[in-house]
Amino acid sequence: MPQSRLKNILLSPIILLLFAAGCSKVEYAKIDDPAYLRVFNNLNYTIGLDNKDEAVPFLTMLIDPEMDKDGIPVKAAVKGDFLDQREPYAPPYPSHIGTGISYKNVEYPGKENVLVGPILNGFDLSSWAQIPSGKHRVVFLFRPVNNVPFFDLDTKLKRSVLIDTTMVLDAKEVYTLHVLQKNFVTKKNGVYLRKENFHKLSLSDSLVYVNFYNMSAKGFVNASKDQKTSYKKSGALYGGIKDEMNIFYSLYTSEKTMKGPVYGYQNILLGKLTRNSEVLEVSPYYNFPLFADGKSNGKFTNIWQRLDLMTPGMDPANNPYEAFQMETDGNWAPVNCMTDGKSQLIGNDNAAQLPNMIVNIHSGVYNPRSFSTVNTIEIVNGNVYLTTVQRKYAPPIY
Amino acid sequence: MNTRKSIKKLLLLIPVLLLLFNSCKHEDLEIAKENENFRLASDFIKNNYDMSLFYAAIEKAGMKAQLQGPGPFTVLVPNNLAFQQIGISRPSDFDKMNQDSLKSLVQRHVLNYRLLTRDIPLNGVDIRYLTLAGEELYTTSSNFNPKGFANYQLDLFFNGAAVVKEDVNLANGALHVINKVMKYTPKSTVQDWLAKRPQYSIFVSGLKKFGLWDKLATAGPFTVFAPQNKEFEASNITEASIAALNTKNYNGKRLFGGYVMDKKHFFISDFFAFKFINDETVFIRKVDDDNWLMIMNSASDSFNRLNTLTLNLRTPVDFYTNYNTIYASTPGLSDNLTDNGLVHDVQGLLLLPEQALINNSPNN
Repeated sequence: MPQSRLKNILLSPIILLLFAAGCSKVEYAKIDDPAYLRVFNNLNYTIGLDNKDEAVPFLTMLIDPEMDKDGIPVKAAVKGDFLDQREPYAPPYPSHIGTGISYKNVEYPGKENVLVGPILNGFDLSSWAQIPSGKHRVVFLFRPVNNVPFFDLDTKLKRSVLIDTTMVLDAKEVYTLHVLQKNFVTKKNGVYLRKENFHKLSLSDSLVYVNFYNMSAKGFVNASKDQKTSYKKSGALYGGIKDEMNIFYSLYTSEKTMKGPVYGYQNILLGKLTRNSEVLEVSPYYNFPLFADGKSNGKFTNIWQRLDLMTPGMDPANNPYEAFQMETDGNWAPVNCMTDGKSQLIGNDNAAQLPNMIVNIHSGVYNPRSFSTVNTIEIVNGNVYLTTVQRKYAPPIY
Repeated sequence: MNTRKSIKKLLLLIPVLLLLFNSCKHEDLEIAKENENFRLASDFIKNNYDMSLFYAAIEKAGMKAQLQGPGPFTVLVPNNLAFQQIGISRPSDFDKMNQDSLKSLVQRHVLNYRLLTRDIPLNGVDIRYLTLAGEELYTTSSNFNPKGFANYQLDLFFNGAAVVKEDVNLANGALHVINKVMKYTPKSTVQDWLAKRPQYSIFVSGLKKFGLWDKLATAGPFTVFAPQNKEFEASNITEASIAALNTKNYNGKRLFGGYVMDKKHFFISDFFAFKFINDETVFIRKVDDDNWLMIMNSASDSFNRLNTLTLNLRTPVDFYTNYNTIYASTPGLSDNLTDNGLVHDVQGLLLLPEQALINNSPNN
């Protein structure tokens, strides 16, 4: 009996401790009426001898900053630091967080630990950050390439403003914000805010959607090729494309070759692409069937996409250039959306490389299962970028 | 039963006691102690034979007491070879210099904070640091080549002067040894710089003759490669012979314009920095307002940190011809910084007048 009383006495403080711990209040961050924002740094030039006085394209984004009396930012409501040049592929899920060891962030929110978007109309917006809606002052600043947080930098390093502007973000709307070079000759930089509409459209599950933008700087395609040497990776696209282009697409099933065309889906004209880095409008979405290949089982398909950007009057069927030619004077730029976007087509191929638009992943009992996506292809000077948005899908069953 | 238990306990106690005794024994560990007695800046420089000329400059400029002060300072010390290259070989040579300009020369080599190589951003180009003279230094570090195998090295330049010994600790700061005296002429232009130096008079007369002189007083920036008179005289070109040239018959943009680069400010070290950072082994640019090309190659002696830049003119591509190669190889004579650009001394001539005759050269 005394033993059990002793036990009780010993146990009671533990229970009391548990009570005390249970009382602490957890404050969850919450933003009322948010807008959803994703930011890319499209300044894709390399600093070399010829342009050594240009600022290194490594940025800090400040939304609603507070400035001191000298105009130096001291605080900001939202800070997107270490914003590096964007990667060719912006995947449908926030892949950067948790996997990278670099302090550099290739997009915002990217690695930033912020509130992200929900699943809106079926689309996974976890790569979009929540930003309070309303009117905001947005400042982009060039910063030195090091891992010192922006506000800890030396005062003189916080002065190099790329752009200081205001923008209005509406609640529950999806935005992508691009930092762009607007003029290749004067090196004028600016921003481009696009209000996306993919989540409002009635898009089919069985079609893959893609739209195109040419946000290249004015004068890039006409500039001397000596000034474009840093874009060689993009194949014939490195020198840019003309301001007016037609887009053709072809589908193939064979791995890394063009030997397995999907018949009926060869050199089909999708539409027109006009260079535009000023007027903010969403380009129309074009589509092709997810299971265009008649041999696929309706669950998985291995098709990949080839896009040919050709100047009006030219057609892939009467293409005067050869596939090994890098110099096409902006008349022809092929893009392969194939595998992981890092493997070359076998043979002499002058195409730019991007990952496949179709997402193949283990879902339900199917491994892999193919999912249609909504894609945006952006051409900025000599580089091409793919942003893929995906619908929520069933988790895998093992 | 009980006795056995207690024996067991006793037996266990013995190793525990042993452990206790063992841990009581302390042997003095001998650790190599870092030297905490670093010298003050002036003392360190005074005690180093290869810095004797800079020490003399400090003394003559009346900066000795300041550099003994609390600091912190970063002293960029040109070694004696660097002074010899600009004609100063003994301490008494400083007597010929203006006291004020000597003082600002010394101040130009001192920063008022401690700057170690690790504080300078990787592959930073033209990063500015303020000196005691109130001017900003251009600092370039090329440490990292993203593509190369051996992609780390230490290459650091202050106003084009290569650092040959870095991160020397001082009691009141840090010290780096550089291979060149940093030269900056405040409140002057490239034009002023050339006009003041009689050894470039033939080059100046050529620039004047072909209408290239006036722009050198404008904002720029300009990079000028200037051959001395002896280079012209070796090819029998004098001020008189230039005066006698008929400008209509010669392409001045090539003959003299080839030495002048508009809208660029290049230190010789930039060619080495970008060779490492970007794999830019050759820099090709069009001669201003002309279709000929200027080819710039760089070669470096990494042991001595000596960098040589070679330049030559070339006709446009397809069936091109290369012309004379000239060199900027004496560190002491290059990287003369002014407010609107730089002047580098070069050896050799890009073109002889007869090579710049209109209608006589291919690809006109």
